[in-house]
Amino acid sequence: MATTERRTDIGPPHYDKFLHPIIKENYGKWKYHDTLRAGVLVHVGETGSIYTVRAASPRLISTNFIRLMTGLATKYSDGYLRFTSRNNVEFLLGNKDNIDPLIKELSDNGVPVGGLNNSISNVVHTQGWVHCHSAATDASGLVKVVMDELYEYFVEMKLPHKLRLAVACCLNMCGAVHASDIAILGLHRTPPRIDHSTLPNLCEIPTTVASCPNNAIRPTSIEGKTTVKVDEDKCMYCGNCFTVCPAMPMADPLNDGVSIWVGGKISNARTEPMFTKLAIPFLPNNPPRWPEVTEAVKNIVEVYAKNAKPYERVGEWINRIGWPKFFDLTGIEFTKYHLDDFRYAGTTYRRSMHNRY
Amino acid sequence: MAGEVPIEQLADDMFQVVSDSAGQKKLKAKDLTKAVIAKYGDKISKDDTKAAIKLLIDSGRCVYGYFGGSSIELPHTEASANE
Amino acid sequence: MSDELKTPLLDELEKGPWPSFIKDLKSMADRPMVKDLLGQLEKSYRDKRGYWKHGGLVGIMGYGGGVIGRYSAIPEDFPGVSHFHTVRVNQPSGWFYTSEALNEIMDIWDEHGSGLTNMHGSTGDMVLLGTTTQELEPIFRELTAKDWDLGGSGSDLRTPSCCIGPARCQNACYDTLALTYNITHKYQDELHRPMFNYKYKIKMSGCPNDCTAAMARSDMAIIGIWKDDIQIDQSAIAEYVDSGFNIQEYVIEKCPTKCITLEGKELKIDNSDCLKCVHCINVLPKALSPGKERGAAIALGGKAPIVEGALFATLIVPFIEIDEENGFEEVHDLLERIWEFWDEHGMNRERIGEFIERVTLKTFLEGIGVEPMPQQITQPRDNPYIFYEEYYEEETE
Repeated sequence: MATTERRTDIGPPHYDKFLHPIIKENYGKWKYHDTLRAGVLVHVGETGSIYTVRAASPRLISTNFIRLMTGLATKYSDGYLRFTSRNNVEFLLGNKDNIDPLIKELSDNGVPVGGLNNSISNVVHTQGWVHCHSAATDASGLVKVVMDELYEYFVEMKLPHKLRLAVACCLNMCGAVHASDIAILGLHRTPPRIDHSTLPNLCEIPTTVASCPNNAIRPTSIEGKTTVKVDEDKCMYCGNCFTVCPAMPMADPLNDGVSIWVGGKISNARTEPMFTKLAIPFLPNNPPRWPEVTEAVKNIVEVYAKNAKPYERVGEWINRIGWPKFFDLTGIEFTKYHLDDFRYAGTTYRRSMHNRY
Repeated sequence: MAGEVPIEQLADDMFQVVSDSAGQKKLKAKDLTKAVIAKYGDKISKDDTKAAIKLLIDSGRCVYGYFGGSSIELPHTEASANE
Repeated sequence: MSDELKTPLLDELEKGPWPSFIKDLKSMADRPMVKDLLGQLEKSYRDKRGYWKHGGLVGIMGYGGGVIGRYSAIPEDFPGVSHFHTVRVNQPSGWFYTSEALNEIMDIWDEHGSGLTNMHGSTGDMVLLGTTTQELEPIFRELTAKDWDLGGSGSDLRTPSCCIGPARCQNACYDTLALTYNITHKYQDELHRPMFNYKYKIKMSGCPNDCTAAMARSDMAIIGIWKDDIQIDQSAIAEYVDSGFNIQEYVIEKCPTKCITLEGKELKIDNSDCLKCVHCINVLPKALSPGKERGAAIALGGKAPIVEGALFATLIVPFIEIDEENGFEEVHDLLERIWEFWDEHGMNRERIGEFIERVTLKTFLEGIGVEPMPQQITQPRDNPYIFYEEYYEEETE
């Protein structure tokens, strides 16, 4: 293979090669879809129907896991499968008689089917300690322990509406958790520690200074070498400086941990897209099973499940009942950290007498 | 008029700009483009500068780097690299 | 390689009903790379911190994107992950595969890498997780021999991605797969050779449900929309009514503008008041579908917090025809005007959303040649600090 001519800029292959014949025939001609049961859809087109079986995936998967999936696809779905934007695996079946045996074989291999409609779909998440240099927590581990607790909500459709969970291991938010129903966000709580011996060689001073959203970084000189100093009162521990300057590490085992955010949504259905808002400012990193985090997330899910009306997302439910009641119902402590003090903070201050007593 | 300056010449000029600032400032593709446009004005086009950067990189004289943003640098062993 | 693998903390993650990534990783622990990854991860779980260094110069010859350099910070303890670079492989539109195609990629990855992946990364690529600098070029050669190419990283066009679109969704208002394929192929240079101020992500969703989260996660959200009346199959409405489904509570009362009424078994929509929120279409899929005059809306500037705070995308073009017949020219034209203006006036590491906030929407629209429209805002300004550009002078009419 090494002697092959070097090709560049060829782009991805055409998707046409990977479409099930029934999908090709009905491309753009779908009439409607129906949910047959948890994790199973039928899409009805002009000339036929395609059946979808949606399976969970930890996203961090080995070639063993993928070969298991491709093997099942070959056996049950004519060799056609896809992944969703939330990293579920979807098998696309032309023959509905294959649904049950496929689900059984997935189940025998420990892979649940679900994640549709009024359920918790697969958790969008980031790399964490498995692979990231700026992670304040692990992501795959958090997803595993949280979904062990919330398993029933993946395999059954018993929530008021869909619930989207996401995990990001630092404020970079590679998982874009800022518009999820419930987000688990790793964060640092102490300023970067500056390695003045390596910084002058490793980092470009103007870029490092410019990286700070709060202008807390200034150039300085130590023993004749240009380096930087951090105004620690201004530091919000975002880690952006570390991204451009590896001599400013953020990791602090004693103080790194997890925060919980609620009420975001992407879809335009009923209400406009919304950002998540802070529910719990800090929970400790307590691996391997983060009991404080799983308990907190489960509590929010259960209070939502009990109190929201049908077709209300978490954010829509909170907007109906108001934030004071959200803190009452969940028993989450309201603290000074819930008050915004960054840009546009004023837009979150109450400027009316509209409150529930 | 675009295309009046050979792409090789532009790549050579860009290499000089990168060499001159090595160790002081990491340059971006945009900095190289601006430098040669300052020199040749409308004798060259954006397509020319893109082709010159491609040539500069493909020749191995420069490489792309990334720390929070992308840069074009002289090849070197970076401090974080393990053997 | 280190001694026998002991992972008492990670072993706790083998328990419970959700699929265990630790079990999966352990199935490959006979590979030195995976064994040392588990070893280093166990140490992270014990010490509550990560042990990775970012490598900024690692890549494929000629490309500035597609490979993320990663080194262990403690290679003496875990030599198997001394190098643990990521390769981003550009996914096909809609993340569709055949078993055969995926197996081919896995063969390459088993031979030249750790065998670990993310299916998929947040931007959309297949993420092959963990290989050494020496293996990068062989991987690239073998992938391209099978017609696969790398995706973006750094200050470049990131790998565009899209929802399932017309391939399996009746709500798709344009062909998201075709547009994604077209843009990805047209802008290969922008994707592989970082030339922008910062990253530029494009996501395509076929309707306002926005299944790719384009509004929150992409610099350019191209979202399917229609202009005319929602299509109604009244016989299907009658079936919903007969089945006892509560249309009043679950559809009519949830409509944000209350523009739906039910008279007997007939549903009526005052489409002039419809916000295209798609709730009714979601709830009554057998009876309702988007109108026939379809296209897309384009919003710019969605992003996560770093640097200046998270932003949803701002609506810039309320409706544009997505015309495959003329090669999507209108979209290309707009995209290139945006890149040109951002390139000229944007700052290093400034995303398009932050750029628009800094220069203001007014200046940005002028710069890209789009007319100001009331659809682009939630309300006109409520402050009187207006920069007037036209005024009368003495002795002019």
